[in-house]
Amino acid sequence: MTSFMGHILRVDLSEGSTASVEIPPEVYEAVLTGKGLEAWYLYTHMPAGADPLGPENILSFAAGALCGTGAFLTGRWTVACKSPLTGGWGDANGGGLFAPAIKQCGYDAIFISGVSEKPVYLFCDGKNVEIRDASAYWGLDATEAENALHRDLDPVCRKKPCVACIGPSGEKLSLIAGICNEGGRIAARSGVGAVMGSKKLKAVVLAGAKPFPCADPETIKAMSKELGQKLLKMTLPSGLGAFIGMGGRMMGHLPSMPLDGSLTAYMFREWGTQANTPMAITSGDGPIKNWTGTPRDARLMPMDYNPEQINRIETVKYHCYSCPIGCGGRLNIRGRKYAEFPETHKPEYETIEAFGPLLMNRSLDSIYQLNELLNRAGMDCISAGNTVAWAIECYENGILTREQTDGLELTWGNTEAILTLVKRMIAREGFGDAIADGVKRASERFGGKEFAMHVGGQEPGMHDARNDPQLGIHFVAEPAPGKHTVGMGLAYGAMSLCDICSWAPPATLHPKSRDIEDTETMALVSKANACYTMLTDGAGGCYYGQMMGVHMWKLVEYLNAAEGWNYDGDHYMEIGERIQTLRQLFNIRQGFDPAAVKLPDRMQGIPPLSSGPLKGVKLRNREQVAAHWKAFGWDEKTGVPLPETVRRLGIDRLTEVPV
Amino acid sequence: MSAKLPVFDYLNCVSCGICAQACPISVLGMKKEGRSGKYRNVFPELVRAGCIGCGTCARSCPMDVICMEEQDRE
Repeated sequence: MTSFMGHILRVDLSEGSTASVEIPPEVYEAVLTGKGLEAWYLYTHMPAGADPLGPENILSFAAGALCGTGAFLTGRWTVACKSPLTGGWGDANGGGLFAPAIKQCGYDAIFISGVSEKPVYLFCDGKNVEIRDASAYWGLDATEAENALHRDLDPVCRKKPCVACIGPSGEKLSLIAGICNEGGRIAARSGVGAVMGSKKLKAVVLAGAKPFPCADPETIKAMSKELGQKLLKMTLPSGLGAFIGMGGRMMGHLPSMPLDGSLTAYMFREWGTQANTPMAITSGDGPIKNWTGTPRDARLMPMDYNPEQINRIETVKYHCYSCPIGCGGRLNIRGRKYAEFPETHKPEYETIEAFGPLLMNRSLDSIYQLNELLNRAGMDCISAGNTVAWAIECYENGILTREQTDGLELTWGNTEAILTLVKRMIAREGFGDAIADGVKRASERFGGKEFAMHVGGQEPGMHDARNDPQLGIHFVAEPAPGKHTVGMGLAYGAMSLCDICSWAPPATLHPKSRDIEDTETMALVSKANACYTMLTDGAGGCYYGQMMGVHMWKLVEYLNAAEGWNYDGDHYMEIGERIQTLRQLFNIRQGFDPAAVKLPDRMQGIPPLSSGPLKGVKLRNREQVAAHWKAFGWDEKTGVPLPETVRRLGIDRLTEVPV
Repeated sequence: MSAKLPVFDYLNCVSCGICAQACPISVLGMKKEGRSGKYRNVFPELVRAGCIGCGTCARSCPMDVICMEEQDRE
């Protein structure tokens, strides 16, 4: 027995048909499930040149191999499709309970093609699959729609349903829309919500109760129990959050170094990802003033974003499925300035950074409100923040006039104007409508391309490549460019990948300049980062599990126990390499040109900053990307996987498997 | 009338929610709010009547903090 359900659900919304399709074991052995199964299926089933918002695009939802086995931190689901933002591979990742719900319906993944004539939702309870009318839910925000579906379906379902749905942004085909679950969690990137909206698919509702298969559940249980008992003892003294900014200031001047992965668990258990904010501001990791500022010239104080302030209004923590850390939380925002809602999810670091320092907005209260607005709309906060930052810089430089912004005084830190603009982007009204498809389209229409921060059409996550050149490699070389979750130098220092992979370089204490200059070593580091992340995505794992390191979150041992295999780390890293190469092959087939993707000048240090922790830093990004592609066995100039690499990874045989 | 129902050792529960999602009829939910050390957290509890005593929750728990014990259904 393995942990795979052995089947996928195939849905064609144009025909109104559904089918359960068996997947041969050799596919699972080659790519696992999750993003791996999606990469294989989309590459082999989507015709070249598919319109991202047309019937040929395939939208998929997948759970990972370890989901349901008892392995901790394996409750992530991946949605994939051709991205309308970049024209290439698109994917996004979400948590909550939706991943196990996919498997409990009897499937490893759901693949949806076609376009419905009227709004529909997909319902599956493990026995029946139905495409149902969704006209009663169309027009509702994501939280309202989910609540309405629960109101209507909970009484008639034996198992409580799990819902993933789009909000108004997806319905209105905003290219920066995501897909939401559980009251505002969002798989936000790549424009996946617009693809769902284009199919007139409001929601996927899953209410199955099938058991999870697993080869050796007792071994998995023992590993999880060991990890859980460690985590139960991990607490930090209250009030420490006020000093994180000082730590960040030190880190900005320290060399690169190996770290203890348990630090991730400590910090995220205590504060959630928002613990990063003061550290990011002071270390140079977090962008300030549309990626041009430093803490000093922006007069920003890390205390403005002290995570202890946020913890004070947290009512309760919550966890994704199978997570013992619990970085999520609910905040009571009743009565706070700008609050139109009684509560919101604890904003993630990315949201705070994108609507705080990036826009010079010091009002945490406004960020709570923006967080809830964007979650309900189903709009990506990273993309929205970068787009608003571009608009402000354009306005400050006279490229946009007050007339064009419909009367909004778009200046740095103007909280009221930022709130109004985001509401108009969500409603697609006036200037808000004009920029609701992200910063690339906005700058093509209005100008100010030099202020438009995007990589191949995707707005980058809130981490600066000048601080961590590894990020710059992944922002550009990754088949879904602009994503911050594929690899970081900081994370590599904590993961100890050299202990499971024979070719992964050890994390060492070295000057930061080496991260730019030592191209060969950095290429192996970035390849190891990317392979391990793809493996994690195939397993359905959480990046914070990754960052705890291989000795604390034992992914290889978990996989061997779940599947009854006895492979070493090198074998699993090759699975990651195969998944990554399949994603790149998808890009090539779809006409996406990897060599045309470029890091924005200011993130390369052109011109270099004149002060702060990133003073004078200039990247050699193109050279590093070429070395990264070469390490993968892809053409170093074009990024196209070489025929011998495709053969070595067995992809030529894999794509001939009939399904 | 008595039946075997789940009993939880909340002190050693890590709030992972595996048990609640494993419950085939969703009578178990992560609804109980309480403290885990200094943190205010959510824990599993029977949220509606009708537990069939199947023990799926107890078997699924990686931390072994759920016991099936004879209890009065009331």
